[in-house]
Amino acid sequence: MRLWGTLTDPILRQNPVTLQILGICSALAVTTTLAAAITMSAALTAVIVAAAGIISLIRRHLPSSIRLIVQIIIVASLVIVVDQFLQAFFFEMSQRLSVFVSLIATNCVVLGRTESFSLHNPPVPAMTDALGNGLGYSLVLVIIGSVRELFGQGTLLGTEVFRTTEQGGWFEPLSLMLLAPSAFFLLGGLVWAIRSWRVEQVEVSEHALAPAEETRG
Amino acid sequence: MIRGIWTRETVAMVFLAAVLPVAVSWIWDEGVLGTGRLVFVLVLAGLWQALFTFFRAQPPSAAGAVSAFAIAVLAPEVGPLQFAIGVSFGFVFGELVFGGWGRSVLSPAVVTIMFLGFGFPVADWPHLPVQIGWATIPAAAILLFFGVLPWRVLVGALVVLIAAGGFNFDLLTSAVAFVLVFLVCDPAVSASTPLGRWLYGALFGALTALFAAFWETAPVQIAVSAALLVSLAAPLLDEMAIALWQAVRRYRHG
Repeated sequence: MRLWGTLTDPILRQNPVTLQILGICSALAVTTTLAAAITMSAALTAVIVAAAGIISLIRRHLPSSIRLIVQIIIVASLVIVVDQFLQAFFFEMSQRLSVFVSLIATNCVVLGRTESFSLHNPPVPAMTDALGNGLGYSLVLVIIGSVRELFGQGTLLGTEVFRTTEQGGWFEPLSLMLLAPSAFFLLGGLVWAIRSWRVEQVEVSEHALAPAEETRG
Repeated sequence: MIRGIWTRETVAMVFLAAVLPVAVSWIWDEGVLGTGRLVFVLVLAGLWQALFTFFRAQPPSAAGAVSAFAIAVLAPEVGPLQFAIGVSFGFVFGELVFGGWGRSVLSPAVVTIMFLGFGFPVADWPHLPVQIGWATIPAAAILLFFGVLPWRVLVGALVVLIAAGGFNFDLLTSAVAFVLVFLVCDPAVSASTPLGRWLYGALFGALTALFAAFWETAPVQIAVSAALLVSLAAPLLDEMAIALWQAVRRYRHG
């Protein structure tokens, strides 16, 4: 039962992207199409689960002064494996994701989970937690990726949903959706929506606002 | 800012009154189609305003009507669905998320117009007839008379525009005049220190002159892009003016 909580918590209640605002660099960069978002999510989830397992196994033998270096080496080796796998079997997709797969090595979600959870927990809970975080990250990427692809090109996973005006349909693609700012807006809107639904996620404000001026004095 | 009858809503009403001469000349020129656009934006913006002010228990403001008019005049010509997305985006993300008129960094009209401009780069920009440029003169006069318009912004921009245009009024097209009076000089988004206002106006003039010299596009797009960039720079200009003032004080008084 505790494992189930460890798995489901990071999906919404402790989501790495929308609550902790980690890993948004890749969330912005690779979400122009849903296929790219799914590939990136799968790559990150694979890396984070494997890294959490390995680091959790060696956690008692790891001197704390060099633990960060060791973690980065493990994560980077796994990233290279995933990158090679993508290049071997999904070459076009790996071209489109370009540098962002390699950048998983520096993704804050991965390092944050290995550092804060895997170092202090046995392999099974550590990998469950990593899987939950990977799924939470994937959820955000898939949501943003599908909205951007749907409104930017009128397609989902390459199949046509809205017929665009170029092909004689009615839908005029919103080319802003294919640019990076739209991902910021969508992510902001998503964070806003989640925090108005789950009020406990709202941060304590750093400054008190001056009392509102009434329009009738 | 509450002094006697001068509340936020009085400022909004003066702005509405100043819009009237321009609105009459614009509707005269555009006819039924333009009126339809205006009503469409007014209804949509009004709905969003009503929704947010209802849930936040705030009094509604008439200031949105001025932004709605500016959108109807300046927005690129896109289909109704795209137009609705743009207007909703502009009002919600440009103004309402920040807490309504007076709290936002950007004018919702500028956000809407730039959103549509970036989102649909092939859409045609409207061409403002020359009488709208003339109609902004009485509008500016009304606003200046009531002290609502920050005159330093207006003078700063005009000086730079006229100087950059080689001491004639070539750069002062009706699009630039309209954007300057209703979007750049909006007291809610302009800089608020005296020096900051001079710089703010001058920066708008300089950017407009720069864009006009190197950018082959419609005057409306030039003016609104310049307005977007200067309103983003406004807090920085204020900060600079305050830092300078503090440095001078420290130098004088130790």
